[in-house]
Amino acid sequence: MENMLETVEHVAREEGGGPVTVIHLRIGEMSGVNIDALTFAFDVLKKGTVAEGGRLEFEQVPLEAKCRACGASFHPDEFVFLCTSCSSGDLEITSGREMQVDYILLDDDSKTDDSEVARTDEDGEVEADA
Amino acid sequence: MHEIHVGEDLRNKNREIAAENRDHLSEHRIVTLNLMSAPGAGKTSLLVKTIPLLEDKYRIGVIEGDLQTNRDAERIEALGIQVFQIQTGGVCHLDAAMVHSALHALDLSEIDILLIENVGNLVCPAEFELGEDARIMLLSVSEGDDKPKKYPLMFRESSVLLLNKIDLLEHVDFDIEKAKREALEINPSLEIREVSCRTGAGIDEWAGWIERFYTERKGS
Repeated sequence: MENMLETVEHVAREEGGGPVTVIHLRIGEMSGVNIDALTFAFDVLKKGTVAEGGRLEFEQVPLEAKCRACGASFHPDEFVFLCTSCSSGDLEITSGREMQVDYILLDDDSKTDDSEVARTDEDGEVEADA
Repeated sequence: MHEIHVGEDLRNKNREIAAENRDHLSEHRIVTLNLMSAPGAGKTSLLVKTIPLLEDKYRIGVIEGDLQTNRDAERIEALGIQVFQIQTGGVCHLDAAMVHSALHALDLSEIDILLIENVGNLVCPAEFELGEDARIMLLSVSEGDDKPKKYPLMFRESSVLLLNKIDLLEHVDFDIEKAKREALEINPSLEIREVSCRTGAGIDEWAGWIERFYTERKGS
């Protein structure tokens, strides 16, 4: 979780630091992520960070395996990792193990109203330092 | 409002540190096993039973992961071997950075086999590589035979599954053939062994597995 917030803060800072409103996560069907626990931890730890007013969005990525013996790709129903075409157990998991920050949404507008945006255009360096 | 693509896996940092640990351990010719299970499955008891069988031939070190206490480490210390306790302070798994610190606290030149006891938890430890050579999972028969399908990741990520407390089998509704079959569906190359830390059943054979694994990795 700290790791996620570090990543988000780093990226947001590089992009001008605007408040983060959404953190979109891709979570594999077979990843050890408990969405409730993650959301709870996020709500506690986001205080005082660039994501303080933000929320998490989750996208579940289905499990998919590819057979190294016959090349077939399939969804291992009930976590049965045996090829549905040739019964081989020599498989590679090609998706479904994700635990990834896909993208974040930055609210550029909330920091400044229109007049301030205009002023930023005139002396951008000063504003950037502030 | 604008969208910024990040695309970063949250385990990347841990993976990098785990790779450093692996290099470091490999330089010292140490074989490392990461022991994972639910709380109370018998990880510490397994160590207490196994270490005496290996001690004549190998120098053993232990890293103990625990949420708060030193109790497990004290049980291992009584065996007179090097042990380092990591108190995670409530974090439900060990990560590579914690193990990295522990490696600096141990005298690695005096260790052949390093046994890491993870925090008791069937989910998160499976997501965090530590730099180990193999992952060993314990499942006690009193936990129920539905665990493989409910917590498939750890079964998938482990090389060996030890079914512990096998002496209790007649007292619990644990269909051992079903548990084995479903564990093998998740991980067809999983090696499954039956043990009892209480009666000692299967412990000699398990210690034998560790010896063979060490020899495969490092030569005799």
